[in-house]
Amino acid sequence: MTTNRKGFTVSLLLVVMMSMLLAACGGNDNTAGTPSPGNTGETGAEAGKPVTLEFWTIALQPTFNDYFNELIAKYESSHPGVKVEWKDYPYDAISQRLLTSTASGKSPDVVNLNTEFASQLGSKGALLNLNEYLTDEEAKSYFEGIYNSTVLDGKAYALPWYTGTEVLFMNTKLVKEAGLDPANPPQTREELVEWARQVHEKTGVAGYAQQLISKLFPIDGIPILNEDKTAAAFNTPEAEAMIAQMRDLMAEGVVLKEDAEFSKQIQYFSGEQVAFQLSGPTFINFIKKSAPDVYKNTIAVTLPTGKANLRLSNSMDLVVPQKSKKTEQAVEFAAFITNAENQTAFSKVANTLPSSKASIEDPFFTQSDGSLEAEAKVASSQSLDKATDYMVGVPNAGDINSALARGLQEILMNGADIKETLNAVEKEVNQILNQES
Amino acid sequence: MYKAIRSESFAAWAFMAPGLLFLAVFTFWPIIYGVPLSLTDYSVITETHFVGLDNFIRAFQDHNFLISLWNSLVYVLVVPVIQIISILMAILVNSRIPGVKMFRAAYYIPVVTSMVAVALIWSWLLGNNGVVNYLLLKVGILSEQVSWLSTSSTALYVLMFITMWKGLGYYMMLYLAGLQGIPADLYEAARVDGAGPLRLIIHVTLPLLRPHILFCTVISVMGAVRVFDEVYILTKGGPGTSTLTSSVYIFQKGLEQFNFGYASALGLIVSVMVAALSVLVFRLNRRGGVNTY
Repeated sequence: MTTNRKGFTVSLLLVVMMSMLLAACGGNDNTAGTPSPGNTGETGAEAGKPVTLEFWTIALQPTFNDYFNELIAKYESSHPGVKVEWKDYPYDAISQRLLTSTASGKSPDVVNLNTEFASQLGSKGALLNLNEYLTDEEAKSYFEGIYNSTVLDGKAYALPWYTGTEVLFMNTKLVKEAGLDPANPPQTREELVEWARQVHEKTGVAGYAQQLISKLFPIDGIPILNEDKTAAAFNTPEAEAMIAQMRDLMAEGVVLKEDAEFSKQIQYFSGEQVAFQLSGPTFINFIKKSAPDVYKNTIAVTLPTGKANLRLSNSMDLVVPQKSKKTEQAVEFAAFITNAENQTAFSKVANTLPSSKASIEDPFFTQSDGSLEAEAKVASSQSLDKATDYMVGVPNAGDINSALARGLQEILMNGADIKETLNAVEKEVNQILNQES
Repeated sequence: MYKAIRSESFAAWAFMAPGLLFLAVFTFWPIIYGVPLSLTDYSVITETHFVGLDNFIRAFQDHNFLISLWNSLVYVLVVPVIQIISILMAILVNSRIPGVKMFRAAYYIPVVTSMVAVALIWSWLLGNNGVVNYLLLKVGILSEQVSWLSTSSTALYVLMFITMWKGLGYYMMLYLAGLQGIPADLYEAARVDGAGPLRLIIHVTLPLLRPHILFCTVISVMGAVRVFDEVYILTKGGPGTSTLTSSVYIFQKGLEQFNFGYASALGLIVSVMVAALSVLVFRLNRRGGVNTY
């Protein structure tokens, strides 16, 4: 059947040719010298040549369109020759987007990332060391704890932007039912546990739900790695005691026996299956519309810190990728967005906290008008100067955090032996650290 | 030359070419490219180095990867259960009872529902104070609530149940098509010889369905090893590593930790395992079909 074979061969050749073509187009390695079609002079090192900065944010459009458009217009008018192109992506998409754009050689210039992601990319050498570009004064204008969360080996990889610390939300209806007084909230973690116990006994409802993550260790003063970050340091009697206590609380029903993600926690609090919630002020946005009855009965107070007196924050930062071709202008723009004046303005609009020292002096952050949002804001802005986004700070931090989370799950969900599991996780973490050399 | 272009087979190839092109670019090319990629430590954002077989050596020392392979193999246990139940459902639904067409549609609805929606609903049904716990407590089968998706001994099997629930309709439809290809006179002949319903199934239906059973088993095995959606949405591999299947682990290594070189190596190992399982299924199947009798 010659005709058959001819048709087959022709089509096959066509297919192979097309795929080669497409592969050749998309298969570029990370060579920085890709010729960029169309755009104006990309080196941008010479003043006077028009420069376009690509600015990416996470989930801020369209809610804050006015704020940013005004801010960008202000910057462009005071920096002639610089244009800012603003793009916004949802949280799950930004890492993929950054990867694909880096792979194709067209990196954005200023990117909004959370500290964990910034730390991960920074440790892999993908971000600019901002210490080389910032003045001392600029670097010191941020709260140390938060700024140092992304400093690895003396290199600063991110400028802190907006942040939030955790507060304690209480369902006053359940709390009062249990015979407790919401006006005198628990001052220590131990008291919080007692309150949770009483709520469980008197109302049958659990105290709170928790996600089993590696941060539980540093909250109680147990470091994950040793000082030089060369070995695991969490396999201690204190860790055993902490985990044993958590296991007992779960068995009692005081803490829900589940590895509850944030979305689950929202569900449980909205469904009044727990009386307390430990998270940042943005939690309010989730219950305001979906559970208005619970929202009415909720108050926010300062969250008691654990044994380490550690105030954990969750910050969003701005980073400049290494592959950006306009690094000077990018850093300048990033510093502008995160300066005290602009951070204060943004916090007022977005219900978040600023990470710049000067901003916190604005009375907006210490005055409450009685609404839940204001209470939460005041509660979370206290001790912001001691706050830190605790990060393990090594390239394979993700693996280490996963190993610890899995270990906690094995112990608390699967009933594994605490000592044995800690030993196994310690071995795994040390293995992960050794792979980095 | 013109004769060739106007011939039927050329037209056939021309129609297939766009689809083949799509497959070539999005399926075959990535598979082929994965081989050299697995010999590097590519991570998009850092420098790439050739590391030879390091990734493969590391894979076999990677405790979590071996666990994920084991979990994927356990997941294959869902295959015989799905196949048997779908064949039975197809036989039932093939009957002439009035209103049976409604059942066909009903059983197929889970198949066309988005896995995300299905997973979310099941997570509510199975959660603490969810419907499943409530019913089992009421009936007395349970004495206290079980955290179905948070307990290592039950989590994987619950996920397998959800996969089965969603996939039954699909295989049922395939078997239904097969059943309708069985000539009715074979059943007649068997009945004349005194065969009851059970013997009809064993000696007529099943042998003639053999080719369909082979096909469905192979794709079911592949699907079971590669299962991702329900695991990632409901448990992300937890608690511990009890539901960590190979696809979830590879996803974590590649797209969450950016170790694309290592992830490619893992992917190749899993492909080899799937290929081996498929060959096994082919060998276990003797020839059957309409030519049996």
